[in-house]
Amino acid sequence: MTDESTSEQIDRRKFLKVLGVTGGGALALSGCSTDRVTKLIPYLVQSEDQVPGVATYYASTCTECHAGCGLHVKTREARAIKLEGNPEHPVNAGKLCARGQAGLQGLYNPGRLKGPKARAADGSFQEITWDEAINRLADKVGAARGKIAVITGAAPGTFSDLLSAWTTALGGQVVRYHAFDHEPMRAANRQVFGIDELPAYDFAKARYIVSFGADFLETWLAPVEHQRGFAESHGYQDGQMGKHVAFGPRMSLTGMNADEWHAIRPGSDAVLALAMANLIMSERTGAPADANGLRGVLAPHTPEAAAQETGLPAEAIKRIAREFASAKPSLAVAGGVGNQHRGATELCAAVNILNYVAGNVGQTVNFGAALAAGDGYGSMNDLAKRLDAGEVTVVLVHEANPIYSLPKSSKFSGKFAKATFKVSTSLFLDETARECDLLLPGHHALERWDDARPRRGVTGLMQPVMQPVFNTMATGDVLLKVAQRLGGPLASISAPSFEAYLKTAWQTQVPRGSDFDTFWRGALQRGGVYGSAPATPVRLAPGAQQVGYHKPAFDGTETAGDFIFSAYPTSMLHDGRGANRPWLLEMSDPVTKITWHSWVEIHPDVARDLDVQEGEILRLTSPFGSIEAPAYVYPGLHPGLVAVPLGLGHTEFGEYAKGRGVNALDLLNGEAPGGFLPYLATRVSVAKTGKYQRVAKTEGNVRQLGRGIADALTLEQARSGVAPALAEKAGGHEGEENPPREVAALKGWREEQQEEARLGAYAQDFPKWAMVVDLARCTGCSACVTACYAENNIPTVGPEQILRGREMTWIRIERYYEGGESPGEPLETRFVPVMCQHCGNAPCEPVCPVYAAYHTADGLNGQVYNRCVGTRYCSNNCPYKVRYFNWLAYGQQAFREPLNLQLNPDVTVRARGVMEKCTFCVQRIRGAQNQARMEDRTLADGDVVTACAQACPSSAIVFGNIKDPGSRVARLASDQRGYHLLEDLNVRPSVTYLAKVLHEAEG
Amino acid sequence: MATLAHDAHTPTQTHAEVTRDVVNTLGTAGRGYFMLLGLAVAMFLVGAVTFVALLKYGLGLAGYTPPVMWSVYITTFVFWIGIGHAGTLISAILFLFRSPWRTVVYRATEAMTVFAVMTAALFPIIHIGRQWFFYWLLPYPNSRYLWPNFKSPLIWDVFAITTYFTVSSTFLVVGLVPDVAAARDKMFGWRKKIYEIASLGWKGTHEQWRHYTRAYLYLAALATPLVLSVHSVVSWDFAMSLVPGWHGTIFAPYFVAGAIYSGVGMVLTILIPLRKALKLEHMFTEYHFDNLAKLTLFTGSILFYAYAMEYFVAWYSANKFEQTSFWLRAFGPMWWAGWTMIICNAFVSQLFWFKKIRTNLTALFVISIFINIGMWFERYVIIVSSLSNDFEPWAWGQMNPTWADWGILMGSFGWFGMWFLLFARTFPVVAIQEIKETIPWPRLRKGGH
Amino acid sequence: MAKPVAGVLGSFVHIDAATEAIRALRAEGRTGLTVYTAAANHEVEEALGITSSPVRLFTLIGGLTGCAAGFGMTLWMSVDWPLLVGGKPIASVPPYVVLAFELTILIGALSTVAGTLILSLLKPTTGLAYDPSFSDDRIGIFVPVGPEQAGSVERLLKTAGAVEVRRED
Repeated sequence: MTDESTSEQIDRRKFLKVLGVTGGGALALSGCSTDRVTKLIPYLVQSEDQVPGVATYYASTCTECHAGCGLHVKTREARAIKLEGNPEHPVNAGKLCARGQAGLQGLYNPGRLKGPKARAADGSFQEITWDEAINRLADKVGAARGKIAVITGAAPGTFSDLLSAWTTALGGQVVRYHAFDHEPMRAANRQVFGIDELPAYDFAKARYIVSFGADFLETWLAPVEHQRGFAESHGYQDGQMGKHVAFGPRMSLTGMNADEWHAIRPGSDAVLALAMANLIMSERTGAPADANGLRGVLAPHTPEAAAQETGLPAEAIKRIAREFASAKPSLAVAGGVGNQHRGATELCAAVNILNYVAGNVGQTVNFGAALAAGDGYGSMNDLAKRLDAGEVTVVLVHEANPIYSLPKSSKFSGKFAKATFKVSTSLFLDETARECDLLLPGHHALERWDDARPRRGVTGLMQPVMQPVFNTMATGDVLLKVAQRLGGPLASISAPSFEAYLKTAWQTQVPRGSDFDTFWRGALQRGGVYGSAPATPVRLAPGAQQVGYHKPAFDGTETAGDFIFSAYPTSMLHDGRGANRPWLLEMSDPVTKITWHSWVEIHPDVARDLDVQEGEILRLTSPFGSIEAPAYVYPGLHPGLVAVPLGLGHTEFGEYAKGRGVNALDLLNGEAPGGFLPYLATRVSVAKTGKYQRVAKTEGNVRQLGRGIADALTLEQARSGVAPALAEKAGGHEGEENPPREVAALKGWREEQQEEARLGAYAQDFPKWAMVVDLARCTGCSACVTACYAENNIPTVGPEQILRGREMTWIRIERYYEGGESPGEPLETRFVPVMCQHCGNAPCEPVCPVYAAYHTADGLNGQVYNRCVGTRYCSNNCPYKVRYFNWLAYGQQAFREPLNLQLNPDVTVRARGVMEKCTFCVQRIRGAQNQARMEDRTLADGDVVTACAQACPSSAIVFGNIKDPGSRVARLASDQRGYHLLEDLNVRPSVTYLAKVLHEAEG
Repeated sequence: MATLAHDAHTPTQTHAEVTRDVVNTLGTAGRGYFMLLGLAVAMFLVGAVTFVALLKYGLGLAGYTPPVMWSVYITTFVFWIGIGHAGTLISAILFLFRSPWRTVVYRATEAMTVFAVMTAALFPIIHIGRQWFFYWLLPYPNSRYLWPNFKSPLIWDVFAITTYFTVSSTFLVVGLVPDVAAARDKMFGWRKKIYEIASLGWKGTHEQWRHYTRAYLYLAALATPLVLSVHSVVSWDFAMSLVPGWHGTIFAPYFVAGAIYSGVGMVLTILIPLRKALKLEHMFTEYHFDNLAKLTLFTGSILFYAYAMEYFVAWYSANKFEQTSFWLRAFGPMWWAGWTMIICNAFVSQLFWFKKIRTNLTALFVISIFINIGMWFERYVIIVSSLSNDFEPWAWGQMNPTWADWGILMGSFGWFGMWFLLFARTFPVVAIQEIKETIPWPRLRKGGH
Repeated sequence: MAKPVAGVLGSFVHIDAATEAIRALRAEGRTGLTVYTAAANHEVEEALGITSSPVRLFTLIGGLTGCAAGFGMTLWMSVDWPLLVGGKPIASVPPYVVLAFELTILIGALSTVAGTLILSLLKPTTGLAYDPSFSDDRIGIFVPVGPEQAGSVERLLKTAGAVEVRRED
């Protein structure tokens, strides 16, 4: 939504700043010095790109997952302080998820290794110098005589190329290992289309989306891209709105955003997809000609048969199939990690067929992009075997943590130990690094040169945006230095530095008629080169005839009272790499709203039968191990399922991660046959331990009690322009409105007040800042919350304080349930981002005895931290409870070194005993106003973008001056879906919410 | 009352005996006294240490759980302010009503008022986030050219409490002067010197009496509306906000009644042991306690009505927020506190319909304890329960007090007890001159006046 | 201690005797009597024909000053630096009534006490004969007379029923 208008703005402003980039880069690379700055020296010769007090933006690429989103790194006084999306980047178009933004806390993580280390005789790690370290590595690889293996999680790019060239030259083997590698999807694509790659999915185009357990808003492929597309397709716009149906044993965030979520029997979804395909084939002619050959294969899979397997009514299956076929184009997706059962490949194949017969292939499913992927679980197992057989003497682990991300039952660590010399380039002392003999901590992605090719046609660049925080070295440089030292087979690989190597590699890309420097600078400014991959048309391969459905197998013998166990990834912790970032730990999980620890999800009925209360610690036991975690009663589950999130239970990986929660992988079969690790494939028994642990969650009452907080309209109502207040009775008065006389009276009274308030600054003409939040677009992903933490120096408070409800989330995502109370009634979820509403009649202001809370002339609800004495009356009187009190000097423990380097210098770090809250990013408002003044112009709409609005991947938040009739915020605020929270209180909020739009419940 | 008074209250003593008995209470104290004083000081020190901890680490040590931003400290603040009110009622209002039974008890209760207010006045400082800046609430010229916000009920509080403390302590001191003089004339040595100074040269000349009696009358006349205003203002801290459960028009009268109710409860708790300790049983008679009990019954019944009204209005208003708030007050997570308050205040006070109970000191004492507990809980329920579940269901939360809450609470009792005990041994706890006023002087010839 | 005033001090036990003495003395045209009692007493006041004290003026003036100060302070301070809170008028009278009221009481009370002190100081008691029993159960009458007339006064007091008569000079 905001993209066009804002991106121009940002670019024009950032253009000059980004120009200075190479200078900055040189500066950054020049220093690997460890000596900390001990005294401040003023610039003698000011570096061209560092103006104190003025932010410099560098373009870069996110490495938190393989989607490869583009970044704009905001730096102040030569240190990165915020990560934002690069508006020019085709994948994320200026947006960024919570995990991506938290990359900053990887850079400044207290758990980072401060320099190279080697294991001493006594087994402890000793600090060594880089020369020493490189010598040791060179000696070992030199002596290894090809018995070398490299495990790398690095995305495809020049470094990866160097790494494989380096390794193969030494006669070794590279295994590209990603925990979540989507092997079943690729296997299915091989089978059905004879093409071994991951396609790009166009959610924006799809008018009907069916997800078979693919969490495309959380961890599946490129979440930010998908969310942008999903918002376009599923967001309400001029009477149109796509539909989203989700099948799966667990309702993930993606499921919560579906118009229909159907809890199906775990592992039974393939037959569902086949039945839908079958119905479409038998009822419609639209399908491609070569699909007719499938009739035979599909025939046995009738909706009735599918109903048998899944537990869904056949009518529902038929209805959805017909809707799916009639909406053109539609899109079916599968292959989510959380739904990766034994039949996952069958499922993906079935879904391929479904997409094919519905004519979506080439429309919303586009081959040719070839999304980045690894070598898969199978090749990792092969390596494990070779390690076990002692065929490998030297192992180098780069950006991977297999000892954590492979189940204990795979006994990988034992096999890994058999290698005589193990090297880790990890930034942190993670589980794998702990087992290594040589630690060569690499640079963080923001400290080094590199590039990434997340998909064909898209190459993102990375550049050093600041001096390295610690005495680390880019692994690229390490490899080059080793090559230099060894010569011989490596002689061919030579460059003074990895930067030089990278530039050489890029020489080839220079288009005709332009010289390298211009091209290079241009690429650096834009953050890379963005083309589009030529589409690869696909046809059914012979393998398509083999599609079918078999009851998926589950480890463990089926006994009464056991459950199927689901280990699923959360959007915050992903495969566990997020577990050492305080932001991500404190960020409540969008689905359960739990922070800082693990939990076991069980269905309410099951909880009743077993008499389990929330917080009772349950022991889950599978044939492969057992874990204990507190129960969380969650209605979004198939009753036969218990679910535990992945990502916690680290035994190393820094103070924040170590010993926190449990590792769900402990229950999984690490020696499962097949080319992938099944995360939904074990039976567990559930035992009550009788112990309790209060669940550290930010969830309050999950029902809005008809108070008109999360309003919604049916599609019909939205089209016919019914106001939310009438559609759903808001606020206190049962079924009665203020009579017109009262309304008029209230209005008049308000105007008089304004007249009497025309004094001093209030007499002048200022803008009135306002915000609009479109609930039809919001998916509850919480990217805005992280953005707010980063922008406004919000401290994390830790689990103990969260148990006392003291989290400091200036913007929080409230998640209310509708329905789902009587059996069979569908459960609907509504997300409401709630920040300070900046009320015109703010109740918090008059009660403050010292004017710490007051109304600014431009309509902000000001909060003067230095004036606040902490009576907390304002919070008591705030109906939205969006004021947060700093109880215990939170800043001191949250921002301890080096995390303090991430602080935004434009925002105060609040003292203890002071009330704080959302300011509508007043520092950004003033910044934009000053910028405009310097450029001698008036503010244009879109000049001011709050951090939350900037980050929101679905562009659900719009900010601006509501007095300017041309502004988008003014237009949207007058939308007929608009309403205010708790309108009856007459506090006149500046935040307008656009009611969510629902497809009428059918069938 | 007045009619009942005369037969019930015919003075049994002569002027000389009154002086003697009261001045005797100023004699050197026994072990029991010092043990009590020691206990009080110890409790006060617990509070002081807790406060230092709050200063060092922050209010987070207490059990605050947003949205419950006020809890035990404000509860205790309102509790102590309330205690004060009975004193002023008895010493000022009943003085204007010329009710005879007040004479004996009023000095003790007025002292109680002053010390209760002294205790309460600490809490606005203790409970704020940056205690060291509490003076920002006062209107003083400063470099920021910034004045306090007089629209805030908290500023009203500051003024109301300051005024209340000043006026009631003035009232106490004024009342003391002639008695101190009387004590002075019975003392010898260094003690005499001290009372000499304290008596401000009082001799009891007709001129002094002439101004004194008038001044005393006007002070009483001023204190009367004051006492009503102070707790109204305190109640507006709540009523002026829009929190469901606070936002009620009945709050002012409801709080004033509650304050007097709790105050009389505390008076009973204090006087019953005191009369024994000071051997003044013949002065504090059944007659006085009977009247105190009646006052309790009266105010307790007002509370009964107020409670009933709160629930009725919540139901009748058809306002979801109010209804939920009051439903949860009775049946929510804090039901136990809600019922403690209703039983201790609305129901227990009804026992005073029976004269047997009104005149049985043991029963009175036990009931007075219930009243104190009940009234503390009333404020706890009104504050904590209402805040726990207001408008935004997602933000609801329950709080549990911690050691820091209890420490300060204990400290406040220690602080109060400390001052009262010191007072009781240093100054006449019975108003000598006012009793003498009620005793007819001996005459040579019968009849006459 | 100022030099003692010459005169006669009579001490009574009985109120009627004391009042009789006072009346007799006033009938003789004696002025400047000082009567000591342990508590305020109407009969004595009547006998002395005392009018009620002007202390009330202090109360009134103090109260009015307080009220004015209350409104003045709040209104002026509000407009001195106008800050808008809760969409309410910058200077709104209703909330300020509370402060005006409190200041009325405060200053009213303080000026009352001040008044009493001032008025009492106008008639200093220093140098007048006094006996500790007057704060207990005796009524004292001090008649300032020179030695030449002291005899007659002593006689008058005795006949009125004084239990003790002392001559000061």
